[in-house]
Amino acid sequence: MNGSSIIFYLVAALTLVCAVLSVSTRHIFRAAIYLLFTLIGIAGIYFWLDYQFIAAVQIVVYVGGIVVLIIFSIFLTQQAGEKLAKQKIGRKIFSALAVFCAFALTMLQIYQHDFVETSAPHIGNTVKDIGGQMLSTGENGYALPFEVVSMLLLAAMIGCIVIALRSKPEPK
Amino acid sequence: MWSFSNISDNIHDWLSANFNATWTLIIEMVIAGTLVIGLFAMLGLILVIMERKVSAWMQIRLGPNRVGPKGMLQSMADTIKLMVKEGMTPNGADKIMFNLAPFVAMIVAMLLLAPIAFAENFQLWDLNIGVLYITAVSSIMVISILMAGWASNNKYSLLGAMRSGAQIVSYELSAGLSILAIIVLTGSLQVSEIIESQRNGWWLFKGHIPAIIAFVIFIIAVTAETNRAPFDLAEAESELTAGFHTEYSGMKFALFFLAEYVNVFIVCGLGATIFLGGWMPLHIGNWTGFNNAMDYIPSSLWFFGKTFFLIFVIMWFRWSFPRLRIDQLLNLEWKYLLPISMVNLLLVTLMAIMGWHF
Amino acid sequence: MSVGKYIKDVWGAVRSLGRGMKRTLYYFTHHKEIITQQYPDNRETLNLPERFKGEVVMPHDEKNEHRCTGCQACELACPNGTIKVVTRFDMIDGKKKKAIDKLVYHLELCTMCNLCIEACPSDAIKMAQTFEHSVFDRNKLTKILNNPGSKIMDGVE
Repeated sequence: MNGSSIIFYLVAALTLVCAVLSVSTRHIFRAAIYLLFTLIGIAGIYFWLDYQFIAAVQIVVYVGGIVVLIIFSIFLTQQAGEKLAKQKIGRKIFSALAVFCAFALTMLQIYQHDFVETSAPHIGNTVKDIGGQMLSTGENGYALPFEVVSMLLLAAMIGCIVIALRSKPEPK
Repeated sequence: MWSFSNISDNIHDWLSANFNATWTLIIEMVIAGTLVIGLFAMLGLILVIMERKVSAWMQIRLGPNRVGPKGMLQSMADTIKLMVKEGMTPNGADKIMFNLAPFVAMIVAMLLLAPIAFAENFQLWDLNIGVLYITAVSSIMVISILMAGWASNNKYSLLGAMRSGAQIVSYELSAGLSILAIIVLTGSLQVSEIIESQRNGWWLFKGHIPAIIAFVIFIIAVTAETNRAPFDLAEAESELTAGFHTEYSGMKFALFFLAEYVNVFIVCGLGATIFLGGWMPLHIGNWTGFNNAMDYIPSSLWFFGKTFFLIFVIMWFRWSFPRLRIDQLLNLEWKYLLPISMVNLLLVTLMAIMGWHF
Repeated sequence: MSVGKYIKDVWGAVRSLGRGMKRTLYYFTHHKEIITQQYPDNRETLNLPERFKGEVVMPHDEKNEHRCTGCQACELACPNGTIKVVTRFDMIDGKKKKAIDKLVYHLELCTMCNLCIEACPSDAIKMAQTFEHSVFDRNKLTKILNNPGSKIMDGVE
């Protein structure tokens, strides 16, 4: 075992432990923080894989956006220092079983699938390559999905503005 | 000639000659970690005394003048005081989160140091997405503040944390957009390439007026992002006692305090890198004689000079302006900075396409 | 909001902020003119502002006479019971005349609000500029303002 794999196992262990903690803790805020550590762990694995752009986007989107959103909704709705109600034992067993089944299914699929090495040219993982690919209209280009997603975001933004816009009182 | 890159190369050569690759890497990591921690301690000591002296002189006072020559050892005395104080944990607090929050703040500050180029060829990690990495990782900073605010189980802390969250999340946008304005011109996110592109002049001067607008917006936005006055609503003393760190004492408080100053250093270093050329000496176009003369000043001095100048500007803001109200703060961002920086980004893009910049 | 007003707003903000920063930069570069005082060092040459108020005193002249008639206006004016006037009746020419026995002043309660001085009809008390009031015993803060054996000045009614 070399240094690289030691780092991988450490990061993976952090991710898994935090993931388990985030569903097993009874403090809702701690659950959010453990979720945050899980997401950071996944970003760490991306860094380990040398996919730096995806790692940074993972942090920007999930940590800077989604976890902050979750924490804000906890702040606005929950009382500090309160624990969630204890769940029934049957429910616990059922959810554990469900998780185990999903895990087993995924692992089964991964082990049964035989991955073939592609002969397609390797696309670099720098920002420049990703950006070029994102806006290219040629082979494997992502211009159309990119534009569709931006339309979706634009629609969402306009929706937000319409909801947030305070209607002016009728002039009398 | 004596320079940081020579020293690091020599150390690397010596280690490679005496150890195998893994051990070389481990020893280099240990050295880098020690240096980072040492830099943190030095920055804490220097920036605290600098802040106090600057504030005193701006308010026609003398500032600390008892400990050491001209009061220069005051921050040392403060450190000793903070270290021997008891680190209290309130009874109703969420103990794990309460004790974890200052360390998260500190670790984030440490991570942010990685892509900063301190001198020519002297950088911990010249990763491909350098600037994006800094903006991404600095968004973890807000989590530590939210953690501290919630875990203290105190209404002041919670209010301070929420204000700070809203503030950092919104000012990240205009900081990002103003960085993007320069990224459009450089065409790369890598710190070393950004600096290299300023060999014939800094972007602040090469980019005409849009670069200056971007620079002003960047400075305002990072002042808000680091929770410093006039945007220090998260710790507004008169309203929230101390905001998110009301319940903290001793070394845990000191870590928050240190993280704030290190963050100021990092964002100023980033600003210096992007707008003022990082370690690149002042070069003007093709004036070879002038450029060569400027090269005699070591690159590390250029970097630290620019960074400390920007830190001084941020301190200058702090001691000139009154604190904004929360609605004024959000108005400033969403109604002024964000539209202006978006229009500015369009202008810069036009400029880059037409090749109007130098 | 029109675009013109928006731009004017931004320009005005930038200009006024610049003016503020120019002022602080002026102070920063001219740090020889210091307004704070190096207190324990310049104790002899201390230069207190005119309106600084330290404690209430009752001036006496060289014949050990004061101007207090014992009217208790100060006691009534005081918002937090700092002054207590203890009166007695002197027999002067067979007539009873009101005079003070003791004017008790609790320094530890005083907020230096100056209301007693303004209420006094005969200018018997005034504010002194002393400020080193710390003592080891709280009782020492309760002071009797009139000197022992003092009496009212002639002609003060």
